[in-house]
Amino acid sequence: MKKTPLVFSLVREQSIFMTIVISILTFLAVLAFGIALSIGGGVVRWNNQWDKYATVQITNLDNTNTVKKIFSANKDKIESVNEISKSEMEHMMQPWISNGAKLTDYLPQMFEVRVKNASDIQYLKEQISTKAKILTHASALKPSVSAGWKLVSITGFVLILILVSIGVCISYISRNIAMLHKHELEILNQVGATDSFISKQMQIIVAKISSLACFIGFVVASPILILILTTAHSARIGLLATLTLSNSAWLALFLLSVTIVIFSIYITKKTTIRILSGK
Amino acid sequence: MEGKTIISFANVSANYGNGHDVLSDVSFNISSGSFYFLTGASGAGKTTLLRLIYQLHQPATGQIKLFGQECDSLSRNDISMLRHKMAIVFQEYSLISHMTVFENVALPLRVRGFPNDKIKKLVTKTLEWVGLGKYANAYPLELSGGQQQRVSVARAIIIQPSILLADEPTGNLDDENASRLMELFIQMNKVFGTTIILATHNQKLLENYHFPIIMVENHHVAFSGINNDSEPRKWKGPKPQSHNYFSQLSKQFEDIGNA
Repeated sequence: MKKTPLVFSLVREQSIFMTIVISILTFLAVLAFGIALSIGGGVVRWNNQWDKYATVQITNLDNTNTVKKIFSANKDKIESVNEISKSEMEHMMQPWISNGAKLTDYLPQMFEVRVKNASDIQYLKEQISTKAKILTHASALKPSVSAGWKLVSITGFVLILILVSIGVCISYISRNIAMLHKHELEILNQVGATDSFISKQMQIIVAKISSLACFIGFVVASPILILILTTAHSARIGLLATLTLSNSAWLALFLLSVTIVIFSIYITKKTTIRILSGK
Repeated sequence: MEGKTIISFANVSANYGNGHDVLSDVSFNISSGSFYFLTGASGAGKTTLLRLIYQLHQPATGQIKLFGQECDSLSRNDISMLRHKMAIVFQEYSLISHMTVFENVALPLRVRGFPNDKIKKLVTKTLEWVGLGKYANAYPLELSGGQQQRVSVARAIIIQPSILLADEPTGNLDDENASRLMELFIQMNKVFGTTIILATHNQKLLENYHFPIIMVENHHVAFSGINNDSEPRKWKGPKPQSHNYFSQLSKQFEDIGNA
């Protein structure tokens, strides 16, 4: 059955204004949430990628064999051990070594270890710690991960600001509609309409407008999000390269738009009932 | 037809927040099925009295009981439910200008959730009865004052209220239409036992119809002409066209009752 409000009518300008405002806010909300999700997902993937890696640094070369024995004894936990050769070390340390050739005599013996499970790193650390330094890649990359989470927090905060703006906007527009139809509201009251009946009439209008607006906002935001993610990938730099949106993330973005419609309807109800009861 | 007390005022005072009482210490009981004229000078408080009964205005002091229910403890929802049993016709019509005559009259039925086919049938018959059958698709502003008044009356009577309050309903009507409207009110009062309070300045009405009078004067109310003979006198103006409408309307009212 087609639902139409009984007495409320929106003039063309009001409907267009309301649709544009909610479309823009939905667009911003989807964009903010999309970025938050992709950074959050990226950070989690980044963490998962590096928390199985560690660098073992032996400064007292007498301990090399002991450390190697520990590696052999824990074969079931270790995926791979990669010994970094002296030439590789020299190449990596080139900017610091420069022409001071003598420094090459003091380079430590280094291994890159990959374990099967992230928890195995801790076990290995306990075994090796007296003989060598062991540094997990995850802890080395902590600043990068922390920056990622900060970005998620910032975009999350932006998302909350946008949702508050939507609430204020809808509340203002509902109040405006109700004020424009004060005469109709009085008549509805006179003929025995309950507050919930009257607010339902307002909700029908807002539901129609916000559904269209949220659809537009989502449709416009989606290609822009894809563009941002593609650009981030093409940068091929650390965390940026890991940004992506999974299918469930896209579903969450769609559900955000649906939530905005439901939120709009809820705010309309609250505002209308508040106006009717003269608060 | 008169029965138990349906409207009861006990020491009611009312003002509009300016400290001056429009009505002061008003007490009365009105029985179910009675018909009263409400009269008094302009600004005496007739409309305020009707608004108090219809719960559009709250008393400053005192207590109002409707259908035996104390009104000061009612929630907004309870008041809406109470209004399902009452109707009011305002002097200024209170019609919605962007809705057709049909939709205006249908409004109380839509609020009560009547199905569309029933609404169509009832509204068509009621509009025919008030002589506005061919104006169903017109907008209120396209009608004369008298026609708008009849739309307002049609909207009030379509729900077959137990209490009908009318504020100068014949104010904009010619003698013929005023007569038809009075006949309708009398019919509603007699056939359905509708309690009617009709505010009027029209001396002709007061003289020709022998109903008890509530007189609002000096912020108080006084009653006069209460006797057992509540039979209306014959209208001396032009004769109403036909009484077939009454039976048709009666049939429709039965339908509402069964809805």
